[in-house]
Amino acid sequence: MKLAWTVILAQEAEHTAEEASGGAALLLPAPEELIAGIIAFAIIFAVVWKFALPALKATLEDRQAAVRTHLEAAEKAKVEAESLLDDYRAQVAGAKGEASDIVAEARDAGEAVKADIIARAEAEAEQIKARAGEEIASERERAAVDLRRQVADLSIDVAERVVGSSLDADSQRDLVNRYIDELGGVQ
Amino acid sequence: MDNATAQMTYVDHYASALLSIAGAEDDPQAAADEIFRAAQGLSGHAELVETLGDPRIPGERKQGIVDDLLGGRASKVTVAAMGFIVGAGQAKNLGDIASRVAELAAEAEGEIVAEVRASIELDAAQIERLTAALSEVTGRRVQVKAVVDPSVLGGLVAKVGDTVLDGSVQHRFSELREQWG
Repeated sequence: MKLAWTVILAQEAEHTAEEASGGAALLLPAPEELIAGIIAFAIIFAVVWKFALPALKATLEDRQAAVRTHLEAAEKAKVEAESLLDDYRAQVAGAKGEASDIVAEARDAGEAVKADIIARAEAEAEQIKARAGEEIASERERAAVDLRRQVADLSIDVAERVVGSSLDADSQRDLVNRYIDELGGVQ
Repeated sequence: MDNATAQMTYVDHYASALLSIAGAEDDPQAAADEIFRAAQGLSGHAELVETLGDPRIPGERKQGIVDDLLGGRASKVTVAAMGFIVGAGQAKNLGDIASRVAELAAEAEGEIVAEVRASIELDAAQIERLTAALSEVTGRRVQVKAVVDPSVLGGLVAKVGDTVLDGSVQHRFSELREQWG
């Protein structure tokens, strides 16, 4: 314990002495320290210049090359992406055009089918109409023929009765003789 | 043998039988002619033929009808011959049998029969002229068998074989009916 107190007292004394010699002495190193420091710095600088700096430079150059490579790759990828994008856009545009063509074709086909159905329906309607007209005309003709036949039958029936009752024996004989003469005249 | 052939065979047999009966008479040709006329007269009435051919009507009744119709107008032989045909159930074939009788009788004389239907009874002069005319038309000797048929209305119809010469008023009306129909 006693020894500790002795050291402290000694340092206190020394400190007191320095304060007494002035502030500049505190800022400037001792010359020998300064020379040793310069030499050490030179050595370290030389070592760094000789060994560390080329390695660092090579590392930086590698780094730059890698970055450049990456940039070029990114640029290339970008160009490719843009090319792909253009292709996609072209394909999309083509697909849209094709879709439009398909829609137009479908619309045309639909119109054609519609027109065909309408034309066939109209033709069928015309046929039905014509057939109905023919049937009506035929029915009318048949009715007219039937009526004519009925009138003829009735008239002939009446005529037969009249002739049958009005032909006397002389007339009958004349008819027979006339036909016999006709048969003889055939020769 | 089909029905038509069998029918013709029956007709031929009955016609031959009637002709044999006529042949036993004093004037076979006149007897055959009377049988022909009687058969034609009966067959000319559809209702009568139907009645005479009806199996539900007794034979005596049919024979009575024949007697009533022909008795006093034809000889007993002719009446008996018609009764025989009707009694044998051949009333529906009376017309064909009559025609065949006439044909067979004519063939025996080397002639063909002309069945003539007229609305009046033909006199001898008309039959003679008609015979001559039909002989000229057919090129063969014709024997006219005339019957009265009021349905012809006027004129006459002559049937020689398959040929029909129709100069009847009824035929004229039929033609008119066809033209107007």
